[in-house]
Amino acid sequence: MIEWLTTTDHKKIGIMYVVFVLAFFVIAGVLAGLIRAQLAVPNNTLLGAHAYNQVFTLHGTAMIFLVIAPFGFGLANFLVPLQIGAPDVAFPRLNAAGLWLFVLGGLTVFAGLATYGGAAATGWTAYAPLNEYFVGTGAGQDLFFIGLLMTSISTILTSINLLVTVFLLRAPGMTMWRIPIFTWEIVATSLLVLMAFPSLAAAFAMALIDRHMGAHFFDPAFGGNPVLYQHLFWFFGHPEVYVLILPYFGMITEIIATFSRKPVFGYVGMVISAFAIAGLSLGVWAHHMFTTGAVSNPFFSAVSFLIAVPTGVKFVNWIGTMWKGAISLTVPMLFAVGFLLNFLIGGITGVMIASPPIDYQAHDSYFIVQHFHYTIGGGSLFALFGALYFWFPKMFGFRLDERLGRWVFALLFLGFNATFIPMGFMGMEGMARRVYTYPAVGHLPMLNAIATLGSALMALGAILFFVEVLLAVRRRIPAGDNPWGAYTLEWMTSSPPPEFNFETLPAVRSRRPAL
Amino acid sequence: MTDPASLQGVAMRTDWYIFIAAGVAVGIFVYVCIGWCLIAYRDRSGRVAEQFENNKPLEILYLVIPLLMVFALFGVTYAIEMPIDRVTGPPNRIAVTAFRWSWRFEYPNGTSTAGTPTKPPTLYLPVGRSTQIELRSDDVTHSFWVPAFLFKRDAIPGMINVFDVTPNRTGRFVSRCAQFCGLDHALMSFVVEVVPQSTYARYLAGNGTVTP
Repeated sequence: MIEWLTTTDHKKIGIMYVVFVLAFFVIAGVLAGLIRAQLAVPNNTLLGAHAYNQVFTLHGTAMIFLVIAPFGFGLANFLVPLQIGAPDVAFPRLNAAGLWLFVLGGLTVFAGLATYGGAAATGWTAYAPLNEYFVGTGAGQDLFFIGLLMTSISTILTSINLLVTVFLLRAPGMTMWRIPIFTWEIVATSLLVLMAFPSLAAAFAMALIDRHMGAHFFDPAFGGNPVLYQHLFWFFGHPEVYVLILPYFGMITEIIATFSRKPVFGYVGMVISAFAIAGLSLGVWAHHMFTTGAVSNPFFSAVSFLIAVPTGVKFVNWIGTMWKGAISLTVPMLFAVGFLLNFLIGGITGVMIASPPIDYQAHDSYFIVQHFHYTIGGGSLFALFGALYFWFPKMFGFRLDERLGRWVFALLFLGFNATFIPMGFMGMEGMARRVYTYPAVGHLPMLNAIATLGSALMALGAILFFVEVLLAVRRRIPAGDNPWGAYTLEWMTSSPPPEFNFETLPAVRSRRPAL
Repeated sequence: MTDPASLQGVAMRTDWYIFIAAGVAVGIFVYVCIGWCLIAYRDRSGRVAEQFENNKPLEILYLVIPLLMVFALFGVTYAIEMPIDRVTGPPNRIAVTAFRWSWRFEYPNGTSTAGTPTKPPTLYLPVGRSTQIELRSDDVTHSFWVPAFLFKRDAIPGMINVFDVTPNRTGRFVSRCAQFCGLDHALMSFVVEVVPQSTYARYLAGNGTVTP
């Protein structure tokens, strides 16, 4: 126990990230269940308005800041040194600090539940001036800002650490054009974090100063401006969604190449498109503000459309990697294919809402809820599960059950689509997001009932996953060093890898050293 | 999709249709490609994967085609959005003020109504005539959303947002606040009632006491 609490080993830290992420995932999942229970029927009174507002705020905050983002960096912690042939990350103690800051930050946000007035109830976006109401009783809002400042400092530290590791600690022969795509995506993500997260820190710090020291940054009565908060928030917020997806692009690239028995198709295009997405994502923030009447809609619309081009390059490259391969549909590959099918819908709806005349209807409606769940849920979350199945044997030396894994995938895939397909139609019918109740008009009762049933299927899938992990821990069927016949360097060492990763310096002469 | 109740809404529905058509076409194409790979290239006994890793002409092609598509979609967007965003300054101007958690409507002759979360107010608009809406907020950021117009615009404290709307058919349209604004955001609804021009004139003449 003490060994784990005090460790600076990147593999142990990586595994602890995964464990804490799964704990926060369970909490966020229960919150999602509460949301769907409340919305199962119109005019429901299960949760009150204030309880519901806290629930959806905590669900979104936890999934974004405490599940999807830290899983990417947690897995990177475990994998990046292994993939480039390094003994550890460049700054091991900074790495441990990052992990514990993330955990404490997450607990700080949830500590709001124990305060008078409850946790933050302003959505994960916490717009000003709404976030400045109830200063006296709203300690939950302060804990939200402080907790997320801690997680963002953690993310910045981890990004610097991983960048230095990739640039300075590669094994001989591991040139930049040979490092695996997952590591490349982490490089792009880390650079993006360094540019975007300071803006979030500024927005949250200004909101805290407004709340307690009367600075009036966002208060128009004193010359402040509420739109300024939106600019600062989304200058972080849009790059953030790519922080939530780029590492997952990397994970499924490795999975697809392995199970197609082929090299990654268009390796250079994969790398360039990651940086193109990261770069463009810094210039699209105001597409979250098309309805404010305060920004240049055509400019932000055009740049947003352009992001579809590098994303399309990635899609064709994934298909190109499968093309004429020998595809085995293992559980990780099923999740990768699920990612492709779901994320495509997220991408297409994303291009739609980048067109302001469509966004004028879709914005802040359930259409948007559908869109971002198809990218972050159907996309990132499916890749997360695929990555867990894929790298679990490397982390622990034994494997998860393939047969149960198929059931987990089937339940999650059916449940996910049953939950979120109806939401697009709810939005088009006029259902706003973040409402605790809705009237019994049109198709809304039917669509919501289907969505709630779908969420129950997803819950079953998630429960089955944890059962499967427990069974695997009890059975401990040895996996061997390279159970999948994968190509990257982490599969050339033992499972689990020894301290400092490699017994001898690995020889790297190609992009697929383990072939 | 709701049947649009304004001229601007009809234009925006065209934008929806174009994007849905393009999206469905791209979606089917990609799904067929993925499905083909999974069926034709399944790992059967004796199957050996071909070891190629790039194809320059193809890679340039799938960079150029999406770029052209994006340019076309932007052209469509721009052409449809510009007339919607144009403010022409028609004489019928209504001041709409959002507050937690209802709305206040003030008509050109001084007639004014306001609602509460449990008693949503009604906004009367004349059919076939352009009306200018001036949006304000008394407290936090709200959003004026009429799903039947396929349109919303935010009401932001400290600034006035102005837009034109030309209803093209009469009817009662349930509408609401779209931007989360705190506790009872879910109850912050209102009704837009589009009425014949003579009825609208009668409503104003009666100072809002005579409901049409």
